Amino acid sequence: MKRIIIIICAGFFAMNVSAQDFAKDMTTAKTAYAAGKLEESHFALQQAMQEIDLIVGKEVLKLLPPKMDSLTINTKDDNVSANAGFVGTTIHRSYGKFTKKADLSIISNSPMVSMLNTFLNSPLLGGMAGDANTKTVKVQGYKGRLEKKPGSTEDKNDYELQIPLGSALITFTVDDCSDTEIMAMANTIPLPQIAKLIQ
Amino acid sequence: MKKFLCLVCLVAALALSNAVPAQGLLKKIKDKVVNKTIDKEVEKKTGVPSESSESGNNNSNSSSSGKPTNKGGGGLTNTEPPDVKAQMAEAETAHGAKNYSDARYSLQQALMGIEIQLGRQILKSLPPAIVSVPADTLQDKVMSTQWGWSNLSIQRVYRKDDKQLTITIGNNGLYAGVVNMYFANAGMMEANNDKQNFKQVRVKGNKAIIQYDDRKGYTLMMQMGQTSLIVWECINFANEQEVMTAANSFDIDGIKKMMGEQ
Repeated sequence: MKRIIIIICAGFFAMNVSAQDFAKDMTTAKTAYAAGKLEESHFALQQAMQEIDLIVGKEVLKLLPPKMDSLTINTKDDNVSANAGFVGTTIHRSYGKFTKKADLSIISNSPMVSMLNTFLNSPLLGGMAGDANTKTVKVQGYKGRLEKKPGSTEDKNDYELQIPLGSALITFTVDDCSDTEIMAMANTIPLPQIAKLIQ
Repeated sequence: MKKFLCLVCLVAALALSNAVPAQGLLKKIKDKVVNKTIDKEVEKKTGVPSESSESGNNNSNSSSSGKPTNKGGGGLTNTEPPDVKAQMAEAETAHGAKNYSDARYSLQQALMGIEIQLGRQILKSLPPAIVSVPADTLQDKVMSTQWGWSNLSIQRVYRKDDKQLTITIGNNGLYAGVVNMYFANAGMMEANNDKQNFKQVRVKGNKAIIQYDDRKGYTLMMQMGQTSLIVWECINFANEQEVMTAANSFDIDGIKKMMGEQ
């Protein structure tokens, strides 16, 4: 019980801190702009944008299921990193331990990803046009690319699912599984809600 | 006499051979005129335009595929850059309502507004003429992308007759990194040929590289601080010295300060 209270308090504190940071950055941006210090104002606005990206990342993590089939969440691996510029925001969560692991990463607001998505969406460029190990799939109405990779032993396979969403890319990998297994797991990810948050 | 006869025969043969296609051409023109007259008669009697007259009209308005060609329009109106204060206020409101997507969008707009203002300030600070070549301010450009601070480009062109200097001030970590790569790897650039077309120089104490190409003229690239870059493209400049004099006429420290570089 104590633990739960501590976790709730920590979560509330973290949210409060980022809200405060946002307000602080906005005040700095407004003051600097009024004083004609454009570069300072620009920097503060960028900081504010990073705060928003972090909040969005945390909200996305809250939406993700606590379990993937029999695989449990690794809370220590939960990570959100925000970067202004080319890299964008990265949201990461993993499930399971040792031999069987599932890994979910979402890169959002990155111009590089939007370029990659154009590539993935264009059959002529070879993204969706599959070879023997790739195929186009639909998860909750979103088009994606499923790729089979060699697993831990000869008779096992790893699967990677990539779903492009505007300037965001969702990558979901599961070790030693079948395509039906990964698709069933992917269907538990609330994609429409995530898309609404990150776009 | 024989020679004369041969010559006459040759001229007659040539005339005949030309007469065959010429006759064909005459026949075609005659047919067309006859057809047009008949078409006009039919049009007068029926009141329906004939096929040939329709196709004639279409050719002037559309391409061969039948799609009309655009003859002109008003174009896009020049909109003012985003209002920074209003966008900042909107971002705060959206953040308060936990509408993070809108808050982010407003912040991006505010950033774009600041970048465009900054670009205009820098353009204002540039000299009106360089090595007696005046600025063509109609070609002044400030470009900013929504990605914030990593793709701001400011461009001015100086031009007189066939002599031109284009200065581009950019803020793009990727390009700056490319220049840095040249500095880090001297072997890549200090070509040991009879004629050196690529070398390291300094512009007001800042490291730069200069390149010469017969088709493009001189290109001088200078890294500024961590992510910014200035590129001078000089066409029809007499020599390297003139390029360096031109580059040194710019207030590099002032630009650096405005871009927030150290």
